[in-house]
Amino acid sequence: MSRILCVDDEPAILRLLAVVLAHGGHEAVPAVTAAEAMAALARGGIKAVLLDLGLPDRDGLELIAAIRTQYTIPVIVVSARGDVAEKVAALDLGAADYVTKPFDGDELRARLRAALRSGASPAGDSALLVHGPIRMIPDRHQADIAGRALALTPKEYAVLEALVEAGGRILTHAALLERVWGKAHRDDVEYLRVAVRALRLKIEDDPSQPVLIRNEPGIGYRLG
Amino acid sequence: MRPPAIPSAVTSYALALLGVAGVAWLTSAWLPLLGLTSAALLYLLPVLYAAARGGVGPGLVAALVAAGAYNFLLLPPRFSFRVHGLENLVSLFVLVAVALVTSRLAIRLRAREAEALERARMSEEAAVLSAALAGHPAHSALQRGIDLLAGRHGDLVLLADDALSAGSAACSSLDLAAAAWAIHNGDVTGHGTEVMSAADWTFIPLAPKNRLDTQVAALARPANGTTRRLAELEHLRQLALLLGQCRDRDVLESERRERELLEQSDRLRRTFLASLAHDFRTPLTVITGRLALLAHDSPDARDALVAAQRLDRMMADLLGAARIEEGSLVPAMESVDLVDAFGTACDGLAVARTIPADLPFVTGDPVLLHHILANLIDNALRHAASQVTLGAHQDGDAILVTVSDDGPGVPAADRQRVFERFARVEGTDRTTGSGLGLAIVKGFADAMGMTISIGAAPGGGACFTLAIPLVERPPK
Repeated sequence: MSRILCVDDEPAILRLLAVVLAHGGHEAVPAVTAAEAMAALARGGIKAVLLDLGLPDRDGLELIAAIRTQYTIPVIVVSARGDVAEKVAALDLGAADYVTKPFDGDELRARLRAALRSGASPAGDSALLVHGPIRMIPDRHQADIAGRALALTPKEYAVLEALVEAGGRILTHAALLERVWGKAHRDDVEYLRVAVRALRLKIEDDPSQPVLIRNEPGIGYRLG
Repeated sequence: MRPPAIPSAVTSYALALLGVAGVAWLTSAWLPLLGLTSAALLYLLPVLYAAARGGVGPGLVAALVAAGAYNFLLLPPRFSFRVHGLENLVSLFVLVAVALVTSRLAIRLRAREAEALERARMSEEAAVLSAALAGHPAHSALQRGIDLLAGRHGDLVLLADDALSAGSAACSSLDLAAAAWAIHNGDVTGHGTEVMSAADWTFIPLAPKNRLDTQVAALARPANGTTRRLAELEHLRQLALLLGQCRDRDVLESERRERELLEQSDRLRRTFLASLAHDFRTPLTVITGRLALLAHDSPDARDALVAAQRLDRMMADLLGAARIEEGSLVPAMESVDLVDAFGTACDGLAVARTIPADLPFVTGDPVLLHHILANLIDNALRHAASQVTLGAHQDGDAILVTVSDDGPGVPAADRQRVFERFARVEGTDRTTGSGLGLAIVKGFADAMGMTISIGAAPGGGACFTLAIPLVERPPK
């Protein structure tokens, strides 16, 4: 049972979130303004934040940055605005993931689970990375899927490692590109497309209908 | 500042004679005291004065009269014009030479002074004009500049290229031809120049000769019937360049204003659409969320949930249509793997997919592309009897994406109409759609430079084809 801070200026949404979270065994801590949210965080015991970007007293993106500078807990954006640029901005500012309203309860809980999981195991402790059938030992540059060893190029390995580390959280195209190819290539989406296609040929049962590496249009990749 | 008054000719001659008379009286009265040589020298004075003041005419008159008086009054035999030898000729020659040289010098000096004054007047005018044109905003500064020049030189208007072809009531056809010449050749043309000098106006380019311009300054011919001198025209040309610079600034400023206005209204529209989406989705989230919880136990709630979810899709369609309508759609083109696009569009839906593993990447806006595929699949699912198929293949320099169903199909006559908003095909039930889905498909495809068409599937159903051109991506 984790205490999850829910920030939304609409009380009906807060009540809905409380029910949806209760189904996953979590307790919702409601806040209708950014100020209330910061106060609740200061009281402690919060494991994650579900944040609506349209708040009355402060810009939601700004609040993400403020939370991330003081706390290491994951922030999941729950936004009614479908704007891709805003989602990418939120993720770049340190949001762990996002869910678009109207959201599906199962999907919200899955995102939250992934965010709590990767928050629980910091990136430093990565002798063995596991996600579903994929196992990776970064120190030895080894990877296998369902017990079958994978022969990956360094770039493919690095992309897969980043995705497995994220554990189902979404990674933006820019974040992946920056991590694997360097800052200068953060806009070269084509590099990523080539590497992901090659990876899928090696790890997916049907590379034309991938289920392990999923894309979100205009945003990035996550593991399914 | 006024040019120095030119001494009237009569006064100059009178003064010349008066001077000579004065000297004649002085020397003849005091000859014994002065001596002949000094007296002769004194005669130079009125000649010098007359030549310097009045120029050649009065100078020569003074010289001749002085020579005569000298001969008659002083040279022995006195009071007679009889000339005695060379001495007399020399004195005449010296006096005439002094008159000529002095008058030439005086004229040249006076011309130089006039020139300096003229130059000062011109630079003063340029400075005044510059100061007037430096004001803000450029538009009113330009008008002030034009008024200033019009006040000093006569009627002045700026003529634009397009106004010439439209014809102007104030200008004859010769004027229009001269204006066109001035615009296209960058020369001062019309009255006072060598080109079409019979025109009523003088046309002065606003830009340097080597720069194409669309405007020219038209200056009326002087009201007093004179013709402007070349130096004056050259000066006006420099002033017109100043006007041209101010005009350029005005154009830039108005462009900036327009852009700012556009950005502002764009921002307003965007904010409006975003808040519309936000305000609509917040209650919808509560409805679908609650219904989803209820649907675990109640089939009735399941129907309501499906209806609410359809409402959300319609909202997305309405917003998409609004974005197309208001023209704010700017596709963010990037490399897209159609495998990804198909994956997200088919997520959780019963759609058969056929896509080659080695299909080239395409260039498109992934979000718009997703919307297109989602709408085509949604449309196909609503019309299919049992099967919807999504396929992609390369055809020359394009990738063709097809969405086909095994439904009743669309009659050939109705095929173009299906992309219109709220189009309904005769005899079909479209009540489940927003009536906007296919219009959005077309709008988004157009925005990305792709083409959408509809044909018949092999089994008789409808087959939509999205043609995505394979473009060489520009090197970074």
